Amino acid sequence: MTRVALFLADDEVVDPKKYLEESCNPKCVKPLLEYQACVKRIQGDDSGQKHCTGQYFDYWQCIDKCVAPKLFTKLK
Amino acid sequence: MKDTCHQIPKQLVIRREKAQDCVVEKLGSISFTLAHRPKRVIQSSCVKQPLCHRGTTIFSRFSISSSIVSVADLVVPFPGETLSLRCGLIWCEALIKMVGGGVIQQILRRKLHSPSLATPVRSWFSSKTAHVDTGSSGVRAFALLGAGVTGLLSFSTVASADEAEHGLACPDYPWPHDGILSSYDHASIRRGHQVYQQVCASCHSMSLISYRDLVGVAYTEEEAKAMAAEIEVVDGPNDEGEMFTRPGKLSDRLPQPYANESAARFANGGAYPPDLSLITKARHNGQNYVFALLTGYRDPPAGISIREGLHYNPYFPGGAIAMPKMLNDEAVEYEDGVPATEAQMGKDVVSFLSWAAEPEMEERKLMGFKWIFLLSLALLQAAYYRRLKWSVLKSRKLVLDVVN
Repeated sequence: MTRVALFLADDEVVDPKKYLEESCNPKCVKPLLEYQACVKRIQGDDSGQKHCTGQYFDYWQCIDKCVAPKLFTKLK
Repeated sequence: MKDTCHQIPKQLVIRREKAQDCVVEKLGSISFTLAHRPKRVIQSSCVKQPLCHRGTTIFSRFSISSSIVSVADLVVPFPGETLSLRCGLIWCEALIKMVGGGVIQQILRRKLHSPSLATPVRSWFSSKTAHVDTGSSGVRAFALLGAGVTGLLSFSTVASADEAEHGLACPDYPWPHDGILSSYDHASIRRGHQVYQQVCASCHSMSLISYRDLVGVAYTEEEAKAMAAEIEVVDGPNDEGEMFTRPGKLSDRLPQPYANESAARFANGGAYPPDLSLITKARHNGQNYVFALLTGYRDPPAGISIREGLHYNPYFPGGAIAMPKMLNDEAVEYEDGVPATEAQMGKDVVSFLSWAAEPEMEERKLMGFKWIFLLSLALLQAAYYRRLKWSVLKSRKLVLDVVN
């Protein structure tokens, strides 16, 4: 019987989606590192034109692809 | 040309397809032996046309390049023979009609009516291309290069803006009602309606759903009646001509939060919260998109700043959405005791919205399955019957009677 949601010691409910996103992090290390490298690159920029949307999208697309098949098994 | 149809009205008549064979037949029986490999097309009907036109239907299967070459081949071998010219011209006209090229038409006409037909195909092509390029080749090449460079540059700048413009692509979730014979999870629809009522109804209308639609889907009749009775509805003029308010009935629509679109925009900083009755059909990949949107509120990427009043959501086209994050853990207490996490509420509300947009889904799937099965049986029966009836004609024996 799969548990519907996780209950911590102080009786707080943990959102299964957040939990799965964190557990999928190791699978998506490469896009995460790319994103962090981009953040570092644009740190000194003041023009306001530079942004890391591309790397951000790549990372979250990887996470979403990992989470989507598993999420509904954790939900009622 | 002699009309051979009347001579042999009911027998099968052999027709020839090549223009060369037209010439050969005209010249008499002596040349008949000189014609090599004549193809015979067996017709069972008499058509009153000159023999040369017979083969145009077969000719139409050829591609453009080979047909131009073969037309030239047909025209070239009989220099000075007026009948071959005429046959060739008819062939060329048929080709031109099929291809539709005006330039080809002019050039071929010029060639066919010219005194010397000995010009080979290759020099004809080269003379045509040389005619076009004289004098402007340098300017033209430079212009093309410039157009290509600007195209590449503009493409590169557009591509970087496109990502946020279209929004992050949403993943496909395995909805329980996705299968070919799968129904809705009605417990989920009931919970989803509760989420809508307590979280979404303050801003979003659902003006196409009535309370009676919920009966038998999410609530019993008594429950739905009790729910409807909680709202106040403005009803038509009474006997004194005045409008009055009364408690809701099953036939009433779900209540609207704002009187009109302008009021909705004014209350939400200029943004209009759309009506949710058809939202999963009104957005591309609607069910997955709405779920991803509701559960996808995140911090913006580095370098992106959202103005005051808007919020960042990567799935929303452009990234800046007026709606704040509405689904928070434990925002709703479910009647059936299911833990109301963000993902749970998102799933339930999307199930409810899917039902609201497509209430006929279950009946449609049943009907579709039934009729596809029955019609495929009918197809097999029809195929058998057709082949049965046509077997008489398809198993005919043919007698070849050479026309001589």
